[in-house]
Amino acid sequence: MQAYINSIGIISPQLTFDGSFLSAPIVHVESQFLMCEEPVYKEFINPVQLRRMSRILKMGLGASSICMDARSDVRPDAIVVGTGLACVSDLEKFLLSIDDNQEKMLSPIPFINSSHNTVGAQIAMMRKLTGYNMTYCHRSFSFESALLDALMLIAEGGVSNTLVGGIDEHTEGFFKIFNLLDFWRKKSVDNLSLFEGSHLGTICGEGAAFFFLEKNRQDGTLAKITDVQTFLKECDASDVKGEMDAFLGRNGLTEVDVDMFVLGRNGDSFGDGIYLDLERLLPESCGIAYYKHLCGEYMTSTSFALWLAAQMLHTQKMPDVIIKNPVSGRQLRRILIYNHHRRKEHSLILVENADL
Amino acid sequence: MSKEEELIEELKTQIIDALSLEDITPADIDADAPLFVEGLGLDSIDAIELMLLLERNYGIRIEDPKKRREVLTSVRTMAKLIESKGQVKE
Repeated sequence: MQAYINSIGIISPQLTFDGSFLSAPIVHVESQFLMCEEPVYKEFINPVQLRRMSRILKMGLGASSICMDARSDVRPDAIVVGTGLACVSDLEKFLLSIDDNQEKMLSPIPFINSSHNTVGAQIAMMRKLTGYNMTYCHRSFSFESALLDALMLIAEGGVSNTLVGGIDEHTEGFFKIFNLLDFWRKKSVDNLSLFEGSHLGTICGEGAAFFFLEKNRQDGTLAKITDVQTFLKECDASDVKGEMDAFLGRNGLTEVDVDMFVLGRNGDSFGDGIYLDLERLLPESCGIAYYKHLCGEYMTSTSFALWLAAQMLHTQKMPDVIIKNPVSGRQLRRILIYNHHRRKEHSLILVENADL
Repeated sequence: MSKEEELIEELKTQIIDALSLEDITPADIDADAPLFVEGLGLDSIDAIELMLLLERNYGIRIEDPKKRREVLTSVRTMAKLIESKGQVKE
């Protein structure tokens, strides 16, 4: 079960929408959240439709358009979207208007847009795509579930390609509610100093990343996704290492075959221990990279990590800003992304150089 | 400026706000041009928003679908209805 990543469109808190790979100055803020650097959407979306769209829809349609335009000679056979909270800002607006207007005279637009599958549906309508269209809302497993579905669709042979994406947005309501659960730092934090010291909470983030996955390799192929796995259990680093070894084993690999581990460490003392303990269990020669200081914490942040991994494999560049342990003296062939959410929801994504 | 013209200007601002018509100013809207298909090129969802605007801001509720179509022909027809109902703000 594998698929080639033949194009990517990504809108993130970094300047990524133009297709560059962290070549622009890194976005450096002191805040409790990181918000996306967004393009001029009129370049991708009909202005008449644009005026009714909330930010997550613009981000989703913008990122998917960038991705599809890079493979403009092929139409997606399927669309699969992963989103932890979907169009939560429209939902917040709709629920608040019910209260404000005593359940009368409600504007239909936030209600229409508040469905979980609105992003996938709008992509289909905008491009007149009538194939398979699925949205997964499985908290921090949402993107991985979408990826797994896309890989299975391609493996079964029903489709030759799939547009798969991960998307979530920062909203005031979401931030406030999860702040009560100590998810976020209580004070503004410098995102590039996120891993310094021991603190409860992390920096909130958001992003939209879409990947054009195809059965066959093309000239512009960036990387290859080989396998995805999720596991739900409260566990420590040795349990994670056991799952990781089994995951690599079923792909005929061991830890020494992995050149770099991209870890979802987020600077929250609640869950950072698993990553730090895991690093001690990994071979000293392997590379280690972090990414959440660039995009913040959100339920589909592994889509940002996948973009990062694909770019590293394609360009063989490893930007200093993400590297904890560098890979030196050898080609970057294989990257394993490991992320967990609140010590309970764990995921593994294996990405390889397209030549392997 | 007559009361009707004042009301038309007020309505244009409210329509731009309610329908999120970015890049359009009140001066761009012809009070006599059709609101739907031609003119501003509005659609059925916009029609619902305009009915809500009339109800929320002027207390006018129109039940008859035929009457709704007549009222939502242009900004001027909307203004005339508000005037006829005596809902013009002094």
